[in-house]
Amino acid sequence: MIWKTAWKNVWRNPVRSTVVISSITVGVFAGVFSVAMMEGMVNQRMRSAIDEEISYIQVSAKGFRTDYDPALIINNSGKIESAIKNTPGVTGLCERIVLSGMANTARKSTGVQIVGINPDQEKEVFSLFRKIMPGTGTYFEKETQLNQVLIGQDLAKDLNIIQYSIDSAKLSELKVNGIPGNITDRLSVLTGKRFGSEKLFVKKLKSMFSASEAARYGQLIKDKAWTFREGSRLTLTFLDKDNNQVGAAVRVTGLYDIYNNIYEKNVVFVKNDDLRKLSGIPNNSFHQLIVKINSIDNTDVISSGLKIKLPDLEVLSWKEIQPDLALLSEMTQIYYAIFMLIILAALAFGIVNTMLMVVLERTKELGMLTAIGMNKKKVFTMIMLESVFMSVIGGIIGILISMLVISLTAKNGINFSQYSEGFEALGYSAHIYPEIAPLFFAEVVVLIIFTGILSSIYPARKALKLDPAEAIRTE
Amino acid sequence: MKNYKMAWRNLWRNRRRTIITAASVFFAIFFALLMRSLQLGSYDHMFRNIIESYTGYIQIQQEDFWDNKIIDNVFEFTPALEKAVLSDENAKAVVPRIESFALASVGSLTKGVLVMGIDPEKENLLSGLRGKLVKYRLTIEAISNIKKSELPDKIKNELDQLKDKSFSGDEPLRVELGIKEKDANIMLAPFVKYATFKNNYLIESEKGVLIGDRLSKYLKLNTGDTLVLISQGYHATTAAAKFRVCGVVKLPSPEIDNMIIYMPYDVCQEFYNAPGKITSLAISVRKNSNKSIEAMISRLQTRLKPPLRIIGWREMNQLLLSQMDADNKSGMIIIGILYLVIAFGIFGTVLMMTAERRREFGVLVAIGMQKTKLGAVISIEMLYIGILGILSGIAVALPAILIGYYHPIRITGAAARIYEDYGMEPVMKFMPVDTYFLWQALIVAIIILIAIIYPLNKILRLNTASSLKA
Repeated sequence: MIWKTAWKNVWRNPVRSTVVISSITVGVFAGVFSVAMMEGMVNQRMRSAIDEEISYIQVSAKGFRTDYDPALIINNSGKIESAIKNTPGVTGLCERIVLSGMANTARKSTGVQIVGINPDQEKEVFSLFRKIMPGTGTYFEKETQLNQVLIGQDLAKDLNIIQYSIDSAKLSELKVNGIPGNITDRLSVLTGKRFGSEKLFVKKLKSMFSASEAARYGQLIKDKAWTFREGSRLTLTFLDKDNNQVGAAVRVTGLYDIYNNIYEKNVVFVKNDDLRKLSGIPNNSFHQLIVKINSIDNTDVISSGLKIKLPDLEVLSWKEIQPDLALLSEMTQIYYAIFMLIILAALAFGIVNTMLMVVLERTKELGMLTAIGMNKKKVFTMIMLESVFMSVIGGIIGILISMLVISLTAKNGINFSQYSEGFEALGYSAHIYPEIAPLFFAEVVVLIIFTGILSSIYPARKALKLDPAEAIRTE
Repeated sequence: MKNYKMAWRNLWRNRRRTIITAASVFFAIFFALLMRSLQLGSYDHMFRNIIESYTGYIQIQQEDFWDNKIIDNVFEFTPALEKAVLSDENAKAVVPRIESFALASVGSLTKGVLVMGIDPEKENLLSGLRGKLVKYRLTIEAISNIKKSELPDKIKNELDQLKDKSFSGDEPLRVELGIKEKDANIMLAPFVKYATFKNNYLIESEKGVLIGDRLSKYLKLNTGDTLVLISQGYHATTAAAKFRVCGVVKLPSPEIDNMIIYMPYDVCQEFYNAPGKITSLAISVRKNSNKSIEAMISRLQTRLKPPLRIIGWREMNQLLLSQMDADNKSGMIIIGILYLVIAFGIFGTVLMMTAERRREFGVLVAIGMQKTKLGAVISIEMLYIGILGILSGIAVALPAILIGYYHPIRITGAAARIYEDYGMEPVMKFMPVDTYFLWQALIVAIIILIAIIYPLNKILRLNTASSLKA
């Protein structure tokens, strides 16, 4: 009965209730959708870090992870590998040699980490082989005479391997893509010229065209002019096992493109066998064994199992390798909760005011109800329920709308391409696919009910304090 | 009675409603101010760090150097050039630099590093490099010695977490350990005794180098150790030489701290086979406001001819600016959501107030009050509520912001690593009073002005007879 009365009370002043309900709807939608965006961003970062950069568990000689001292190698890896592979839950394993060095082209050089890999094994553990930029080559699939190296797109930019140039074929393709003739005619002056960096090319374009033309066609022209000469050469310099400097000419087999610019700039891959010959590291010796497992939830169980099995080695889970990544997902959970609480607190003010109004407006009626014998608990419950009903209706509509919007945007994502450079420098993608754990909705509903109850306490207490005799006499 | 007086009295006829509505405004203002202050303060701090310890506000470079940082893109540093720059009214000093990459190698450890050839004294004037020399380093040995001395247990317990940390002065160490200023002399004595780190600053023409704190730990280098640098010199010559480490500097930006090696610029020129050449000339300025920097850039542009080019800090930090912009927008969206919710609350209150006072309005109009006057009174009432909320919000937020500004919150432990991984110093800094205060007030004012439309409309269309019956 109380429930029914409370429900009917909600609709006695539909305009007022609608204002409260829609404020809750808007607040909940905005909050949930923002959380979904952040969650999407963080999860993408986690996934790409694990799938492309670190995997789940890494095994190395003690101290290697902190020092990267190339002398710290795992010898006779055969036994260790079979021990790892026989552990339940392990689904893949790859061997790596890791050296610090420099990558040089004729005019530029930069510090890099040279990682020796076995391409077939890598494919079982990492998805990096799927991240080769189209048109730049392959993932060690072609046989060449020179040793091959796989480098990141950003390193290629830094080393000036990527160039910008225009030729007649590109001009006619641009025409097909709908760029007017007068633009391509002016562009043809650049035929045969090469630009070593994107900035130089853009500068040139800006000097040739008006701002509006550059804004309209610049991106298309830039994409077309982007040139990577397949099989470009560079030199890798590093120290071999006897601390002698080694320089090796290598051919770029392809460029990989992930969302982490720092990784792209720092890590280059060569085949284990090639690196062995150059560095003198013996066969069956590695710096790292990288382990993939069946599920992220089993990380702790499997890594502690491996720690017992391999007491002489260092076994690190992704949480230990990048504690910030693990912490990030925990911290964001707390952040979401705080964020929702702030929004709900702001909403509570609106609810309290409305419920106060309700009590004042119904003074006479409440007095009457008490006078004819309705007990205080029931009066309290009635008012509280009215507040909870409004909150829950608003909350559920808000959740439904956010579910709809999230499912609509999750497919194609939302692309903040103008910020992509900034995002990727931090390891995030600027193309965000909102996602949310279903449990979060449950949490939000609980929080909303809680808000409804809390914000009705003060008005309901006001109602209880009414003196029935006086209340009946008010108009 | 005057309108504003009447409005004021009206406010307190229903005290509860007034207070709750003002409280909702207070809540929004308080949060918005804290958030903005924290965001803007962090940006400001980040830029100051990077500008004052690395790029400087303005640099002169060879025109291709910025896009293509190779040792071939250098220019001659002549007295005439120095004179031309210093004749600008805003120029305080010019600081020559040679910047290039090299491979640093110590024993079996190697790492790609950023080599900066600097003028030791001038650089110190620009970026205060001497003050960044590590003063204390808490090695395991130092910690165990310090623990034996008389110190409160609280401090001793904290020491283990600071293993291998370096401090470039008494102040940061004192803050990290939570020692009060008056106790500093006594409490820091054991640190002076056991954890002092030997350091010397660069001396012109001497083959000593300063290296970043993180880099020194990575390469396991201490003062007096030797390292080998290998690189490509001017016009594709080979550059390789041994250097002695004369000191370790702790730089606020972790990214730079992890890769930097400073050496005197004449030594650096010799190393790269580029005598008399530099890659950039940083200018220390007298006034650093955006306006004076922009004006200075355009003045210099007319004075210097290609192949020299003038580049401002904005251009040098485009990436950081774009990150900041994205972060800033997301912060604004969150505040926007907050205000949206508050706006609904305010609108709800206005709606109720209008309904509740319909009869009162009717009576007032019936006894001859002009509808416009009534409207004005109601509008003033609403504005009062807004002002109350804004003022109380500012009154509570301001002390918090000022405390945060003078005593920045230092983040420690694992959370600090997240900051450092993103190349930021783990410090939460607030921005003191600035235009963002005005913005919050303006937003609330706009919300209220929109909310007023509803009661004004009701009043102007008031049917006296029927409202009296309500």
